Amino acid sequence: MLTEFSTLALEVLTSPWLLGLGVCATLLGIILGALPGISSTMTLAVLLPFSFSMSPHVAMIFLIGAFYGSVYGGSISAILLNIPGTPGSMVTQLDGYPMARRGDAGQALTYALMASTIGGLFGIVGLMLFAPILAEAAFAFQSPEYAVIMVFGLSMLAYASPGSTYLGIMSGILGLALGMVGLDVVTNLSRFDFGIHRLQGGINIIPFAVGIFGLAEVLRLLEKPLDSDRSASRIVSLWPSIGQIAARFGTAIRSSAIGLLVGIIPAAGSAVAVSISYAQEKKLFGKRETFGDGNPRGIVAAEAGNNACVGGALIPLITLGIPGDTMTAVLIGALLVHGLRPGPDLFVEHPDFIASIYVALALTVLVTFLLALPLMRVFARLLSVPPRILHVGVLILCVTGSYAVQNALFDVLLMIFFGGAGYLLAKVGVPTAPIMFGLVLGPVLEENLRRTMIVYGDWSVFLTRPICAAMLAVTVLIIAFPLITALRQRLTPT
Amino acid sequence: MKLKRFAALALSVAMLGLAGVGTAAAFPDKPVTLVVPWPAGGGSDTLMRMIAEGATGSLGQPVVVVNKPGAGGSLGLREVAESPPDGYTMSMVATGFIAEQYGNPNSPTLDQYKVVAFIGVDPAIIAAGKDTGIKTLEQLVAEGKAEPGKLRNANDQAGGTAFVAASLMEIALGIDLTLVPYQGSAPVVQAIMSGETQTATPSVTDLIAQHKAGEVTILAVAGAERHFLAPDIPTFTEAGFPLVTGTVRAIVVPAETPDEVVAKLEAAIMAALGDEDFKKRATAAGFSIAPLGSADATAFLQKMDEDMYPVLLEAGLVKVRQK
Repeated sequence: MLTEFSTLALEVLTSPWLLGLGVCATLLGIILGALPGISSTMTLAVLLPFSFSMSPHVAMIFLIGAFYGSVYGGSISAILLNIPGTPGSMVTQLDGYPMARRGDAGQALTYALMASTIGGLFGIVGLMLFAPILAEAAFAFQSPEYAVIMVFGLSMLAYASPGSTYLGIMSGILGLALGMVGLDVVTNLSRFDFGIHRLQGGINIIPFAVGIFGLAEVLRLLEKPLDSDRSASRIVSLWPSIGQIAARFGTAIRSSAIGLLVGIIPAAGSAVAVSISYAQEKKLFGKRETFGDGNPRGIVAAEAGNNACVGGALIPLITLGIPGDTMTAVLIGALLVHGLRPGPDLFVEHPDFIASIYVALALTVLVTFLLALPLMRVFARLLSVPPRILHVGVLILCVTGSYAVQNALFDVLLMIFFGGAGYLLAKVGVPTAPIMFGLVLGPVLEENLRRTMIVYGDWSVFLTRPICAAMLAVTVLIIAFPLITALRQRLTPT
Repeated sequence: MKLKRFAALALSVAMLGLAGVGTAAAFPDKPVTLVVPWPAGGGSDTLMRMIAEGATGSLGQPVVVVNKPGAGGSLGLREVAESPPDGYTMSMVATGFIAEQYGNPNSPTLDQYKVVAFIGVDPAIIAAGKDTGIKTLEQLVAEGKAEPGKLRNANDQAGGTAFVAASLMEIALGIDLTLVPYQGSAPVVQAIMSGETQTATPSVTDLIAQHKAGEVTILAVAGAERHFLAPDIPTFTEAGFPLVTGTVRAIVVPAETPDEVVAKLEAAIMAALGDEDFKKRATAAGFSIAPLGSADATAFLQKMDEDMYPVLLEAGLVKVRQK
């Protein structure tokens, strides 16, 4: 494998045409990813027909370049405009946008790029060294385990929300309720559609996030006189100090590990990965640092998780022939057209092809880093556009982005509704981020919980399966720990 | 002066008349939309993009794929059924649509469409996991009959293609499986490989690589004949259980679309489907291409509708529009 990898890597690095293609694909990915509403999956689906005429190796460089580029690109609009470019970047904006408002847009972008690169590299290492082991281990995770992971994620979020814990929990529950709208996954019956047939499709996360963050922010800015809004246009500095970056290295590694693992789970997706990695860091540092008002650690957690997910999603693809998410499903489509059928034998039958996936991913991580460094300055400059023009631009992106996800006007109305709701909720002090986490994690929890009941028919399965029991125990400890500490303090005589 | 006015009037009338004739003759004079009622990136989406590419050539106007996903495809399908019947909006329908008609009050019905062309059927399969030790259809029937409901099958949501296939197989084989729903084919493959379910009923392409690697065993293919990717696997009919089912794909337009416009679309799509290069690529990707023109395609879908109704009724999936 190593020889195939190095020969191919050498071939790509010495071929101007392949290098050029890799750079173009990555750049295209970054731009499409940065445009709200164009998700990584859509980017790939649209570019897929162009790959038909390429050889499988070249097609991988092209598609994986666009794939990874778009995953990174999503963070740009999240940080600068408070609109997620892709579902995987919606957590990035929770801390990225406040940082940009503070005038630290450049630094926020740098943190995102650093974390993305670490996550991307982590994903490659996981993919190259541990793919077979991780793929086997993934089989130990079935519906009950997935259900417990979601409970774990939700419980950490509830306890780590800024401000009132109760309000945080309440808005998390609101998110869970929103996640129930639409066709029931088991019976296929429509729920909570209030007679609006469009709601049968459920509430798509992008119009929701664009409304509750992007549009609500524009509404908030309308309150202030235009002249006062100069803070964001100053780019104080692009570079955080080495020490500042090093202080978040642990976060990047932990989040990368979570991103890699969640990436392996089919149908979980990057939105779930970033929710859990963000929640974990909030739980670990919630005592000492505040999240949600421009903490670089939040950006690092989200972006490292998001980009490590790419490597993770490729693991079941190359070891088992199962796509880890919708993006890798498109990659499989590209392979099939070339008569390559990914399956458990791919490693044995086409080692050269596996090598080309490694090379393609390594190349695009490198290219993204090198491309983004000079581009960041340009992106950050976007914010020095006069506010009245910038806000109109943001509004346009809110509308087109919401429309583009499913080509549905209804999603634009949904976005406007959530924009209004987000504005009002923030006014009365209800945190809106937990709603999003509820909406992302809730449906996955419900689906797996109900499937567990169909398969095992009994709640005791959560205690008899070792991984479930262990994770539930950890969850209970995490919830109980602050209570126990508080109790002990009260009981200790002063 | 008078003559001039008369000439102008005559000319305008002539132009109007021409314009009237022109709408049918000049079709298409703008891009045609092909709605795929599922998210970008799935199997049907890939196939539609390949067909759109081919049809663009023979139609002389771009055929643009637009994804309108949601509610099992019924949102996009309803939008197409209610769109202007001018031939500029087509949609793809698949097996799930037949079931949706009876399960979802908001779903359009088959008679709201004219069928332009039929693309093919990707046969469903039934596969058994490695740990079950089941290697043949007979063994499956024996195990299934020994303890009804003990074998769990991985499929999609109630009314989906794999769900309908599993229900039909239960009837044909006379066994009782516990149907476990998953979202999409990847989780279905994961489920049978990890042992969460003992059997699965996806398409051939989803499991053929795993079958060849010995991780699962495909027991039978629900096609009229053996599948080109799996020539060694018997059909249900060969094994003594007559059954043909799978992912049926066809292209439709709103029912009021004029016949001459439908004929033009039909010609373009049939040309795209008949193209050798297209066939090679589609077959490599595992899609069965067996094109039928408008008349045959209509008959096929109507028969399928009639055949599936009793099955849906038995599976408790007829909630609206009882016959």
